[in-house]
Amino acid sequence: MVKSAESADLVAAAEPAEPFRFPAARRAPPLTARRFAALLAGKAAATATRLTGRGGGTSLPGMVARRIDPGILGALIGERGIPVVAITGSNGKTTTARFTAALLRGAGLPVSHNSAGSNLVQGVTSIAVAAADLRGRLPQSVLVSEVDEGALPAVAAEIRPTVLLVTNLFRDQLDRYGEIYAVADLFETVAAGLASESVLCANADDPIVAGLAADRAGRRISFGLALERSTDEITRAADTIRCPRCRANLTYDHVYLSHMGAWRCPGCGLERPPLDVAVTELEVRGLGETRCTLRVPGGTLDLSIPQSGVHIAYDAAGAVATCLALGVPLDHAAASLATVDPAFGRLERIQAGERSIVLGFAKNPTSFNTTLRALATEGLPRQLLVAASNTLVDGEDFAWLWDVDFETAAAGVRQVTVSGLRADELANRLKYAGIDPGQITIVEDRRRALDVALAGTEPGGTLTILAGYTPTIELRESMRRRGWVGRYWKA
Amino acid sequence: MMDPSTEFPTLRIAHLYPSLLNVAGDGGNVTAIVQRCAWRGIATEVVPVELGETPDFATFDLVLFHGGQDVEMQVAAADLGFKAPSLRDAADQGVVIFAVCAGLQLLGHRYTPSAGEPMEGAAILDLETRGGAQRFMQHAAVEVTLDGETSTVVGFENHSGLTELGPGARPFGTIVAGAGNNGQDGTEGAVRDHVYATYLHGPVLPKNPWLTDQLIRIALERAVGRPVSLAPLEDGIESRAHDVALAKARRNRGRFTALTPARLVRDRTSSSG
Repeated sequence: MVKSAESADLVAAAEPAEPFRFPAARRAPPLTARRFAALLAGKAAATATRLTGRGGGTSLPGMVARRIDPGILGALIGERGIPVVAITGSNGKTTTARFTAALLRGAGLPVSHNSAGSNLVQGVTSIAVAAADLRGRLPQSVLVSEVDEGALPAVAAEIRPTVLLVTNLFRDQLDRYGEIYAVADLFETVAAGLASESVLCANADDPIVAGLAADRAGRRISFGLALERSTDEITRAADTIRCPRCRANLTYDHVYLSHMGAWRCPGCGLERPPLDVAVTELEVRGLGETRCTLRVPGGTLDLSIPQSGVHIAYDAAGAVATCLALGVPLDHAAASLATVDPAFGRLERIQAGERSIVLGFAKNPTSFNTTLRALATEGLPRQLLVAASNTLVDGEDFAWLWDVDFETAAAGVRQVTVSGLRADELANRLKYAGIDPGQITIVEDRRRALDVALAGTEPGGTLTILAGYTPTIELRESMRRRGWVGRYWKA
Repeated sequence: MMDPSTEFPTLRIAHLYPSLLNVAGDGGNVTAIVQRCAWRGIATEVVPVELGETPDFATFDLVLFHGGQDVEMQVAAADLGFKAPSLRDAADQGVVIFAVCAGLQLLGHRYTPSAGEPMEGAAILDLETRGGAQRFMQHAAVEVTLDGETSTVVGFENHSGLTELGPGARPFGTIVAGAGNNGQDGTEGAVRDHVYATYLHGPVLPKNPWLTDQLIRIALERAVGRPVSLAPLEDGIESRAHDVALAKARRNRGRFTALTPARLVRDRTSSSG
């Protein structure tokens, strides 16, 4: 049940946020035969894929249901006034959604959540179909959904977010989107079109995200880092370091992660907006823990999260901002976040018999560099498996590999196995990063690559895996069949 | 072993607007040139040339001018006028200039986008570009002949600009697969003297070692004033990357991978309420 406001002294002093209450659900639209068939087929598809072990039923049920009833997501969610948190952005969607779900559950709220990261319109429909009964009614719960940037306009129109959280905007899959600015346009359209009672949570450290929906009258909560030191520097992988208003080069008091930081424009005077949720202290302790202090209206939160990296602090700040937006108390925040393990493949530690594996999912220059930096806190990796494949979700153009700082990692590498459908491009990149071709083995097949890489790792040693989305799932499935991990959609 | 100090002088490379035109991994072109020189004992010096800086480009052996997005391109175009006289002078003196995408467009007379003001180019290449309705995003392959040697150059094109060459420029190559300058006439890129321009990202040089070595050779020949023969390198990994990209380009021939432009998505969303 919803907690009473007095237990939430942190939020009590905050802005006019009402304590969270479930809105009275609007009446369900009449159940048509078509909608019933769509629900039935979607649920059957979910059961079937689970039973046959062919995936977590993350995308197929939604696809099946939408084919029968294209309006089903809007009917189940948007038209019913269900509270919805939509989380979008280039990086950090999955982890921020996990943090948000944990915080809401910790405050006693029931949550529906696409935890496996299936974030296209089919995936979001799958959660709704799974949560609904056969008459199209959802139990009282908050829907927490990560949403792909490209799918955002379509999904937002159907789910009508109560809170829209934008994590950041990095170069990602330019062969899908053309330009970063095309993605910025999508964000702007959806953010500016939010209902007036909805709340926009925006990462103020990212210049373009900070400037979204600048003229909107509704509530906005800005989050970011307020450290008195830099934790990164501007490199060639940095994306948007120009003023969103006048395009002059920005100056940074501190750079925290790629182009995110305490920025201001020497040209027109625009600067990072004041932070409602600010990370004031941050300590990344190896691969297993990030400690940070968050300043929120009316108090501070000391957090210890069992995941590693500066980006974890951003994700936590975003999730806390969402709680403020909803009016959900934060008194259990530290306890709720203390147990959120990495999502599958986010620097996941896996015991593989006598050897151990660190599985790092990375999909663009920033996520690769962030992952490499996190790994370096425990020493440069010696045995590496790197995999990239061109698929619909992974993209076709891998030019961005040349902006990943493999040069730093190359120094420690003894042996690297290169895999995936684009093993060719990866191997070339690693050669030019300074890894001797004699240390590079190309094994396109993912399962065999895992064998080769493990065989090259001495007992007691660690194999570090860096892989794109599809190869990460394939490699993890291969580990599951060997009994080393559970299913990815349960991670 | 070769002694770099006696065999060749340090190859001086100007990298134009590295923090502005950096979006498509084209920095890999710098990496490719620097490494292939290093593996042969040839020293290199890479000088970033940013906004507001106006070096004498004739003092360089090689100038790299890469691709960027429309916003960054506009910023570069506004600055380019200050650099253009020295760049033109360098081109006339035979300095190797290698340009990609926005770099190609801005070496021409002007670029007229579909929306917004035209941008003046450096007028080093006799070509002109206007924005088109379609964005070409696909693997591409081009047959290129340099100093009598022909090879196939592969890369990934991502542009909506349509380029027409004037009589003062030759195409860089002819399209094997992909759209090239305008999707119509089968030409790709542009050449005059030692100025080479292409639409191919990828980045293009790492997976086309033949082209990289040609650029290095031509630049060195100008520096030392005599023919140069570069020591061969073991290119197994590069060849594999080249061949995979070529196969992809051939398979994708005539197919565009562009999604619906954001503008159209927006119109659709807003009209549906």
